Order: sequence, then C-alpha cells, then structure tokens
Amino acid sequence: MSGKASSSQSSVGLSGPGGLSHVYIQYPPLQCEISGSRGLFYDDGNKLLLSPTLDQVFSWKTMPFSPLVAPTSDTISEGPILSIRYSLDAKLIAIQRSNREIQFWHRETGETFSQSCRSESESILGFFWTDCPLCDIVFVKTSGLDLFAYNSESKSLHLVETRKLNVCWYAYTHESRLVLLASGMQCKTFNGFQLSSAGIIRLPRFEMAMAKPEANSKPVLAAEDIYIITVYGRIYCLQVDRVAMLLHSYRFYRDAVVQQGSLPIYSSRIAVSVVDNVLLVHQVDAKVIILYDIFADSRAPISAPLPLLLRGLRRFNSSASRSGREDIESSEANVVSGNETITYGDEWIFLVPDLICDVASKCLWKIHLDLEASSAIAASSSEMPSVLEFLQRRKLEANKAKQLCLAIVRTIILEHRPVPMVARAMDILVTNYSHSIKTGSYLKGIKSEKTSPSTVPHVSSPSAVAEVTASRVGALEKSVQHEFAAGVDSELFNRSSTLLSSDSEDNAISEPQKTNSSDIHFFYGKVDGENLMGAETSSTDVQPTSLQHQLLGPSNNALNANAPEQQEAQLTSPAISPDQMYSFIFAPIEEEMVGDPSYLVAIIIEFLHSANSEKVKVHPNLYVLTIQLLARYERYAELGLYVINKIVEPSKEVALQLLESGRQNIQTRKLGLDMLRQLSLHHDYVLFLVQDGYYLEALRYARKYKVNTVRPSLFLEAAFASNDSQHLAAVLRFFSDFIPGFQSTSDHNTYYRILNEMNSSIAA
Amino acid sequence: MGLSSASTATEAIKLCIFDLRRGQQEGQELDKILFFFPADLPFSTQLSVIGLSEGLITFTRIFSPEAACELIEAERHSHVFYEAEPDIWMVMIVEKNESEAIWRIAALQKVLKEVHSLFLMFHGSIRALLEKEPAGGLIRAHLHPFMMDYLRACQKWSPLDNCCWDFLFGKKLLLPSFRDCLKECGTVQMLNVSREAAIEVQSLVRLLESCAGSSPCYSLILFQDLLVSTTLSPVDTINLFTYAVLRLTPRTISSGVSSWSYLRKGSTGSSVTAGYTLAHSASVPDQYYCLPDTSPSGDNNYHVVRPLKRDRWSKAKDGFLVTDIWSAEAGSSTSATPTIWLQQTEERMYLCAYQFRSLTLILVVPVASILNGEQLVSLVKQQVLENASLKMLKVEEKLSKGWGGENAYHVSGYRYLLVDVDRNVSRASPPGKVTTLTKDQVLRTVIVKGPKVGRLFPLQFSIPKVVSLACTTTANVNEVWHKKF
Repeated sequence: MSGKASSSQSSVGLSGPGGLSHVYIQYPPLQCEISGSRGLFYDDGNKLLLSPTLDQVFSWKTMPFSPLVAPTSDTISEGPILSIRYSLDAKLIAIQRSNREIQFWHRETGETFSQSCRSESESILGFFWTDCPLCDIVFVKTSGLDLFAYNSESKSLHLVETRKLNVCWYAYTHESRLVLLASGMQCKTFNGFQLSSAGIIRLPRFEMAMAKPEANSKPVLAAEDIYIITVYGRIYCLQVDRVAMLLHSYRFYRDAVVQQGSLPIYSSRIAVSVVDNVLLVHQVDAKVIILYDIFADSRAPISAPLPLLLRGLRRFNSSASRSGREDIESSEANVVSGNETITYGDEWIFLVPDLICDVASKCLWKIHLDLEASSAIAASSSEMPSVLEFLQRRKLEANKAKQLCLAIVRTIILEHRPVPMVARAMDILVTNYSHSIKTGSYLKGIKSEKTSPSTVPHVSSPSAVAEVTASRVGALEKSVQHEFAAGVDSELFNRSSTLLSSDSEDNAISEPQKTNSSDIHFFYGKVDGENLMGAETSSTDVQPTSLQHQLLGPSNNALNANAPEQQEAQLTSPAISPDQMYSFIFAPIEEEMVGDPSYLVAIIIEFLHSANSEKVKVHPNLYVLTIQLLARYERYAELGLYVINKIVEPSKEVALQLLESGRQNIQTRKLGLDMLRQLSLHHDYVLFLVQDGYYLEALRYARKYKVNTVRPSLFLEAAFASNDSQHLAAVLRFFSDFIPGFQSTSDHNTYYRILNEMNSSIAA
Repeated sequence: MGLSSASTATEAIKLCIFDLRRGQQEGQELDKILFFFPADLPFSTQLSVIGLSEGLITFTRIFSPEAACELIEAERHSHVFYEAEPDIWMVMIVEKNESEAIWRIAALQKVLKEVHSLFLMFHGSIRALLEKEPAGGLIRAHLHPFMMDYLRACQKWSPLDNCCWDFLFGKKLLLPSFRDCLKECGTVQMLNVSREAAIEVQSLVRLLESCAGSSPCYSLILFQDLLVSTTLSPVDTINLFTYAVLRLTPRTISSGVSSWSYLRKGSTGSSVTAGYTLAHSASVPDQYYCLPDTSPSGDNNYHVVRPLKRDRWSKAKDGFLVTDIWSAEAGSSTSATPTIWLQQTEERMYLCAYQFRSLTLILVVPVASILNGEQLVSLVKQQVLENASLKMLKVEEKLSKGWGGENAYHVSGYRYLLVDVDRNVSRASPPGKVTTLTKDQVLRTVIVKGPKVGRLFPLQFSIPKVVSLACTTTANVNEVWHKKF
C-alpha cells in the first residue's frame, strides 16, 4: 500500500533539495568489491555480474536482486580478458582473450579449449550465448556472424552457419535475443537477426536517421548511442541523435522496422533503462529522469523530469543489515554518508534493463520505480484515467499498482469528479480485468498464490515484498497515531531499538514534517486514510490487531500484517475484480459519503455499464448497495425501474434487501416478493407471505410447490393474529390433512383449544 | 330531476365543477358554479344539476363524512362525483344510451381525476386560486379554457389514430368507447427495454440530472409515446406523462410543425367555438366567464396560461421544444420557460423538453429563488447539449433497434389492455389495431402470459362486456386481470 512511502518521501521532498522523485535506487547496493579485481563484466544472458581476478572469476546473481547475495567463484587461467560470459546452462565459461581468440572453460572438469578466427583479416568483436535451436554461441566478427554449436562429447565447437556481412560494431541484448550489426561509413546501416528459441529471423536492412551538423559533415553513429529495449514484449531500438538532440525509436516487426517517432533529450549524455515496461531516459548531465510509457501512441512523458533518489541510506552506516530497509532517504545522501555514492557519476554504467553498475565504488544498484510517486506526479499533470491505465499495465509491483488504482478511484469518487471521467476510469478497470481474465493472467496470479507461495515464480524481488509490508504497517500505525495521544508516539519512538519497528520510528520522525504540507502531500495524506480503511475492510485480522498491538508490542504486528500482504504481493496482474471493486471502492465510499446518493448511484450505473459491455459478472452486494442508496432517499420510482429492467440482477440477496427496504414502500416489497418467487426460493417466499399476513395465499402456494419446511405454528400464529376463527380452523384443517401426525403435535393441541375457546366465546 | 327531460336529451354529457363553501346565501347560488359544460345551458338548469348534487352530497355525508357520494344511477343518466379538493366537487353526468355501452364508473372518475391533476400541475389548486381572488373570476378564467382545452385535447388525438374520438362534437360531448381505443387513465405505458439499453438509459438519466448542478432535478424519458424512465414520484410521473403524450411527443409536435395550414384550421375551429360561446354569453354575465380565448384582444382581465392548447409546441433548431404558451404577454414573442407544480414536493419547477428523433427528454428543474431562473434554464440546456447529446444519440439508437416497427411491443392478433395497479402501469394493444378487430375476436381468450414484473397470470376477458378505455364498461376489470399472488 502506498501509505508510508509517500509520506516519508514527501517529507523529503520538502526538506531535501532533491525534491520529489519517481525513480529510486535502494540502499544498500550489491557490493562487488573483490581484491585484485580486473574489471566488472555483466553477463545479461544469465543476469550475472562478473568480476575476474588473476585466476578466478567471481559471479553475483542479480536476479532476483539482493544486496546480500554471496558471490560464487570459478578458477580460470591467467590472461587478458576482453569479455566473459557464462553459457546459458552455466556449464561453460567463455572468455574472449583477444580479438582473435575465445577460450572456453568447463566449470565441472576444468577442461579448456579455444576457438579462434581462421582468417587474418577478420577480428572478433564479441560473442554471446543463445538458446536458438541451431546453435549455442554466436561470434560477431567484422566479417559477419559465425554460429557455433557446442558438442558436449567432443568438448568442442563446430561451425553451423556463417552470415557474411561487414560489421563495424554490434549491439545485442539477451532479453530481446536481437543482434543489430552496424555497417557503412556512418555506421547507420543496420542488419538485424533475432536468434530466439523459435529460430533465426533476419530483419530487413534499414538505415537510421541522423541529422547533419553541417552540410557536408557526416557524423558516425557510435555503439553507445544505440539501445535495444523490450517493452510490453515488443522490441524497440532507441537511437540517440546527438545533433538533433532527439531519441529516435524504431520498432521491430517480423518483416519490417518502423520508425515510431522521437523523444526529445536534454543532455549530451543519456542512458536508458526499462523498469516494469516503463522507459526511463536518464538525462545524465542534468541528473534527471524522464519516464515514458510507450504503450499507446502518445509520446508524451508520464511526468516531469525528476532526479534519481537514493533511498534507504542509513545515518548509521555501520549497521548495514537488511533490516534497515527504510526510510531516511535523501538525494544528498552522498554528502551525509561520506560514502562515495555520487549519482550519475562518470563511472556509472547502465546495464539493460534496470541495473546501474558503479565501476568506481564497485557496487551494483537496481533501479526501482516508485509507483505512488510517479502516479501522483502524473496525476498532477495528466488525466486521471490515463494514470489508471498506466498503473494497470504495471506487472512488477502488481499489488501496489492495484492498491494505488483503488485509492485513486476512491479519491476521484469522493471528490465528486465529473461522472464521465469516473466512468472512463471504471471502464479502464473493468476492461483490464476482463482482458486479464481472458489472457489468464489474473487467474494465474491467484493460482500461484495458492499453490506455490514459496517458489516466487515471477520477478518481484523480496525487497519489494518487504517494502510493501512495511508500508502497510506504517500506514496502519501512523493512522493509529493520529487517534492516540502523543504519549503513544513517544512509546513508538522508544521501541525503535527493535529491528522490526524501525519503520514506525521513521514514521514518527516524518510525522512532524508532514504538517507543513504541499498540495501533493495533501493528496497523499488522503490516500493514507483511505488505505487504512481498505485494509480494515479487506483483511479483517490486520485491523483489530493493529490497535491492540500499539499496546502489546511491535513484533506481533509486523508478523500479522505480513501474512495477508505477502500473499497479495504475489499477484501478477493489477486487475481488479468486480468483487474487489465492491469491497474496496463502493462499500467504503458508501460509508463515507454523505448527502444525496445520486452521484454514487450514477457511478454504480457507469460501473454496471462497463461490466455489462465486458460481460463481467457483478457482485450481488453491489446491487444490494444500490437498493439501499435509492431506498434511503426514497427514490422508489427509480428503484422499481432498476428492478423491472433487470439493471439490478435478481438474486436472493437483492430480493431480501428489497423486502427490507420495502417496509416503507409496499411496491418495493412486492418487487422483492416477486423476485423471490421468480428465483424459485419457495421457502423464503412462503415465509414472507406468512409474515405479511397472507397466510392463506402462503398455504396455497406451499401446497402447490410442496414447501414443507415452514413451521406450521407460523401459519397458525398468523391465522390466530387475524382473529378469524374460520381461517384458523381452515389452517388447522390444512395441516391435519396434509401433514401426517400433525394431530398429535403440541401445535395442534394448543390451537385446537384456542379455536374452541374462540368458537365458544362467539357462541356465548 | 329534470335532467331526463326531452329538452336536454341531446346533451349526452354534462360536466360541472362547484364549490360547496360558496353561495350558501339565498340569491347567491350562482357563486357556487366554477365551471359548467355546456356553458350555454340556462342557469336554472345548471343550478338544478348542482343543487341535486349538493343535496346528495350533504345527505350522504351524514353516513359517511369521509367519502360522500360517488355515484347516482338514474334511469337514463349516471352522475359521477369526484371530490377534487375539500368541498370542491366535479360532477359528470352521462346519458345512458340504448346501445350496450355501460360506462365504467371508475373510468369516468379517473377522467375527472386526470383533469384535476393536470390542472394542479399547471395552475396549483383550485382553492388556492379562489383564495387569491374570492370573487371567483380568476378561477373561472382559468378553469374554463383549461377544461375546454382538455376536452379538445382528446379530440385532437383521435384523427391520428384513425378512430373518431370526439369529445366535442358540435355541441355534444361524446365519450369514446372501447371500440375507439384502449386506454386506462391514471396509468403510464412503459416501453420494455433490454438490460443493456436500460443501463444506457440510466446512465443518460444520471448525466442529465448532473447537468442541473447541485439543484435536485428530475427527468422523464419517453420513446415515441411510451415511458422509458422516470425519476419523478408516481403521481407526478403520471401527470407529466399524460401531458407529454398529449402535447410533447414527436407525433403531436410534428403535426404542429409540418403544416401551418393545419394550425390555421385549428384556430379557425376555435373561433367557431368562440363565436358559439359568445353567442351564448349574452345570457351569461361577463364576470362568470372571462375567456381570453374567445376575446384575444378584448376584456383580458386575467392572464391565463393555457398549457393544453393545441399546436403550440414546436421544436427549435437546437432540439429543445419551445412554446409561446407561457409568454408573459399575450402578443409578445419572447417565450418564457414553462413551469409546473410538482404534487409530491409542492415545488414550482421549470419544464424543459428536448427531442431527438423519437426520444423525448423532459427535464424538470426547480425554480430557484436566488438565481435568475431563465438563466439557469438556459445554462441547463447548454449543459445538456454539451454533455448528453452523444449519449442521447446512443440511447436513441439502442431503443430504436429494440423497437422494430409500430406494433413490435405488442402481442399480435389480440386486443387488450393490461393494468398493473400496483405500479400504475398499463399496456394496451396499439391504437392502430383497434378498429380491425370485432368484439367476437376478443372473447374468452388467454392472450398473454406474464407481464413485466414477472407476475405470471393468464389474462382473459370474462364477458363481452369489453375492455376499458378511458371510460367504459364493467367495474371489476382489475380483479379479473389481477389475481394477486
């Protein structure tokens, strides 16, 4: 949930010069300091960070990213290392020793062999392992591509295929399986191959656009100016045009390359990362990042340029344990820490897709997207529905995105934004849900949550989970702080020595700063409150404990809050089901809303409209809520229309609510009765008929539909209450005739006596 | 009881409204009479009718103070009583003719009730007008044109339906019979819509109501002359629906717009009537009948709005319906926004009607005391055009798709009238059907199962005693059709 991160962050936004941020790196980084290291290499095929020393190579797993991961090491022989990559099955290590030779290492046996160029005229530019069925490793040479297959028995490579081309330099990412080969004088003519598990696809040759600084000068495109990125499963190539100060984008199709438009750049040095399908363009000189969501045609940035934030750097650097996960963030942390962390230093190398390697300090950072912040910032500039769309496309922190969506929708409804706008928001959510149902991602998320909670099949890093947890605890506790006396605050403060509650300490600290709030901050504050409410209604075990826990002790709290959260965090899709729409949006809002319900009814109608057009089933409670709203303000005419036109779909819940609401309005009550009968809920129908005093009709109906579950005494009581001895006699007779053994029951005896008394009194 | 005398034999129907609190002194009996039809009857006859009614009311009140006399069945006449407001009575005297048509008393009462409800909607209560001007000129000036317009209103309907429903036939007021058309007064006819369309409609309704900003406004949506949606209370829905069907639906509008000549003809028609009334006004003291209609330029003591006047609504270019009925001055071109009284809330509201093809939207906006009402209305209109036009297009499309021809919502081959008394909803076979069937065809046949609400009961006609139109036949129709539970 969004609570904590936002509050603490906005407080930084006020105090620190760095201001607000939508992208952050989390302290601590992965330290890869090895004595005698001879450089750092990144193997994107295996997502390994490699640091070779004289006779060893250390490797750190970067997926899932954890700063605590210990390196593994392999022994290699001495020699120059131009590049190093593990094979995809991690059995072999390939080391480029020179521009003519590549050496291979068998990790288990330690056997080696090498492969070198045949001809003198060519040299090896690089190589990569591939999962293409034809071959295992590809050498990129100035004369083209050599595709080799590895023979595990002979422990050697044999050439499968050669593609002859002139190559100046190349670009490859394992993620896209795409290799781009630059050629020509300006290096702007490209040949592309995709070597995927489906085979090799050759892309048509294409040229990249480059503006000329002067009439007859010809700038040369450098390898650093090309980025291959993968967004929403589509492959793009971004090309920096330094003259025009534009970032051209090209999208690759199977048989075409299409230029997709250009993004402006504001720095001579830029870098590109992709986090959760969001394109981050680092304007290195300006030290800011611009976010783009290139899903739609729009090339507008999601938000204004903002700096990268270093988050979680503790004041006490000595305790570098993982428990200090939050919260003292500062973009000027480098100054405070004395650590040599300088954002956008010259030593920063941006690794695809979302890592930053600081070569100087030997550490690796992972770039995170702060969904709360970016959506809040985006909300301030653009339309709310597009923010929702953006959030609905996020997969990495699906749960967070989902909670944010819920919070946004709640906010716009509570703020009584225009109905068409809210309608669009509803439409986005419902469409996305039905889409995710169709593609199965929604169900998959649920399933994986149930069946294999331990395996963590998808990408979300444990730190993200922990963070989400912390944030929710923070939100809960903070809100409780509002209610409790200041004494509790100090108590929290005292408890801060224990590790688990360190985040609540931070909350306590950030609280005072919260008071001098800005507009954006106000928005957050609102979200906080709502989140708490959502938590209350959703996970019932969180809500009561959080209160108790203020008194009992903190550790308990963190555990409790953890349990439901951990599960939710594993959702793979931020899609919101209609049931959740009801319980997290409509139900809480209904409690908060005061005054005329027509706005809320209008929103519900819009929601039903979207749900109907997407053929999504709606929770009956929503209908019940609609009826309650209409009945409360005595809009029975509309209520009748809704029921008759089946806008409110019939169900038992709805029928019972109609009967309940119909206490003041007989027509509504009749609608409820009719609905019961239509649904063939004979037992309830008979029961209500008796309750309303139509006991004879009830009997007839009961006889016709063989309802024998209603107690005879109810009918008898009703008949007795009507004070009509004939009716009472008829009812008695009915039961005597149709229920075997009725005459021996106490009911019969009682009412028989009563009947006799009645008759005798009449006679008298 | 000289009513059965030969001299009045030609008068099929008499209709009067009188106030029991007035004219109780000897010699001031004429004060009681607020309206009498036909107006050319000598006062002595008028007074004798009213005297009889009054006598009966006083007599029956002894036994039943709450609900006095409902009906006198004489040998050749039926007197139908309706106490519209405390001590203000409407009495309709219907001649029993030789043919089989026996008027359904409840239906006749409903006619009276309908007139009165409409009067309330436009002018407020009779009592209030009387208190405004105790002399009674004001109320008479209002009642007479209103009643006459109402009677003509019915006449107007019929030529389009190909059946002759002529309340005002020369001097005579004839009631339509079941043969002519099927209708139950005091009910609305609903259009059946699919869930999808219904949601679309409700979405539009919400949008419309949001156009008026914070002020609570209501809406009524009709498709052709069937009700699609309402947010008004049942009473007001019925009134406004009745009025809309009479004056606002595309059918009534287009006939007014399409032919100017028709309008002329209408006005000459009314001047004929005017001449007729004038001819008799010699015998009528002026203070009793001040008819602005009859003397447009003359002794116009009161400004009387005549909302039921025919062919006064037309469709403006922007789609809104306009009329000059409410114009402040009789001759002025500026058309004021129509206003009505809501019975439920007793609020005065502006009436805005918008028409898009077969779709008629009626928006009822409160007459705000603070803001300039006219400005508010034009603001609302603008909002409606800006925000809702797309949605209206969609709704119209959806509804027309489900419409499919004149008689699509109708059970073919039968003639019927189905009344749901709980919801004040009726459903009749379309008027076009009416004349094609003979009585024999409708005998003792189960014609439909399961109306809207899902209430399952077979519908049958018990006897040849026919079907109810506004005012016909047997009293127990509802019981036959509504086997409750």
